[in-house]
Amino acid sequence: MEKVAIVGYNQVKLYSDANYGRYEMIFEAVRGALDNAGLKKKDITTVVSATNDYYDGRTISNSLTVEPGGGYLADESKVEMDGAHAVLYGLMRVLSGNHKLAVVWGGSMASSYPAHTVHLYETDPTWERPITYVSDITSAGFQMRAYMEKYGISAEEIAKTAVKNRKNAVNNPLALAEAQNPNITLKDVLESDIYSDPVTELMVAQPCDGVAALLLAPEKQAKKITDNPVWITGVGLSQETYYLGDRDLSTSKSMELAGKMAFQAAGINDPNTQIDVAELYEAFAHEELIFIESLGIAEKGKGADLNAEIGGDFPVNPSGGALGGNPLCATGLIRIIEAVKQIRGEAKGYQVKNVNKAIASGQIGMCSQNNILYVLEGDN
Amino acid sequence: MTEEKIVVANKGIIRAEFAFWVGQYMDKFYDALENKKIVGNKCPKCGDVFVPPRKICGKCNETIPLDQNWVDLPDTGILKNYTITYYKINDRASRKVKKPQIIGMVQIDGSSTSIVYRLLNIEPGEVKIGMKVKVNWEEATKGDPSDIKGFSKA
Repeated sequence: MEKVAIVGYNQVKLYSDANYGRYEMIFEAVRGALDNAGLKKKDITTVVSATNDYYDGRTISNSLTVEPGGGYLADESKVEMDGAHAVLYGLMRVLSGNHKLAVVWGGSMASSYPAHTVHLYETDPTWERPITYVSDITSAGFQMRAYMEKYGISAEEIAKTAVKNRKNAVNNPLALAEAQNPNITLKDVLESDIYSDPVTELMVAQPCDGVAALLLAPEKQAKKITDNPVWITGVGLSQETYYLGDRDLSTSKSMELAGKMAFQAAGINDPNTQIDVAELYEAFAHEELIFIESLGIAEKGKGADLNAEIGGDFPVNPSGGALGGNPLCATGLIRIIEAVKQIRGEAKGYQVKNVNKAIASGQIGMCSQNNILYVLEGDN
Repeated sequence: MTEEKIVVANKGIIRAEFAFWVGQYMDKFYDALENKKIVGNKCPKCGDVFVPPRKICGKCNETIPLDQNWVDLPDTGILKNYTITYYKINDRASRKVKKPQIIGMVQIDGSSTSIVYRLLNIEPGEVKIGMKVKVNWEEATKGDPSDIKGFSKA
């Protein structure tokens, strides 16, 4: 199979209420990715974006993002999922043999839409939506409680992940200022307002404003563009059923299957020893633990025992993860960019030592219904 | 720098009224709710019983015929999961409120899946996974999801 590399990237600083127009922010992200790779608009052959009509407050929301997204008189289409899903689409466009440079960008501005209201539009209109008991809020509580009950996990053990990621975010200059807290304690997390018991506000990856972009190129072009290509060596994708009452929320079957698919493609038998760092899209602190267990990095119910600090046994989310800022449609894309930074040694201030293989994930849906996992490798 | 200006605050400029036909299976379910009864249907292959009923068993990729495999179920069940929130979740703006709501996942006895409803007359301190609960019916039913007011201790 043709090899495809990530050859450039850029992410704007995350804000809870950015002093940008929507399209200014997109342009800064996409133009910055081109500058990062030393490329120009004329080099782009295809663009894949990730946006959401409900978040943008307009239908066919990519019709207005043509110029800032680099799609002017170019081939462009949109994935209405996470930016990490748009990367898969961009990867396929390059693998078709028809494209030399794909731009993939994604993002949204939470300051411009009513976050909880738009999530109600995810629910089944013929059954759950009229009574609104299923929502982004209650589903978070169900997922965390299911995990705690199944394995006898305490809220303290889960709060540890929120502390780790919010502390890691301090060293990431692009993280959301509100998420950066060098002095945060377990007590702060546990005693923050209840979001949906047992989930507290500081365990939630706060939706915010942000856009990110990366560039994909086939092997021949990639080697011309950069001395530090990061190869996509595996990708896996799976999804579970929509109804929460059908699912085992204590685990993530879809992440398990996505992991198997990606690891098989990349020749990974033991992720714990073969992967150097993980950047996972945890919409809530407990999801990080559920994911590392579903990926076989920790045993079921033992995720909290893993030392996932930057200098630990298996670093997870050294950038702060989604808890460091959650611009919907960009969050998974940012995880991939952060994994690229780790491989290229460009994660200044939060660099993990000797990284050559990394994994990164994106997700969409309530209780991470749909998960996508990438294996990324450097040349070393 | 000038002050931030919001030109379009989209408050009620567009009001889109959607109308979703619930389908033949949910139609039977809502007719039953109107009569304060719960019905489900059973996958002919794996035997899972669905509440509400479905045309398709997703796991088996099988059609459940409309005229077969209906199961009459009681209005009692087991609490499988719950959450407590101070967000007024049945208000579309999700504002915070003083008194928390307890939302439960309830497996109706004889079914294989859980449904999500409010728990009534149960204090946060006494809610427990595995407890037996029963439907509290609205007095005047309408044949829609609100006919089940919630669940209380059985």
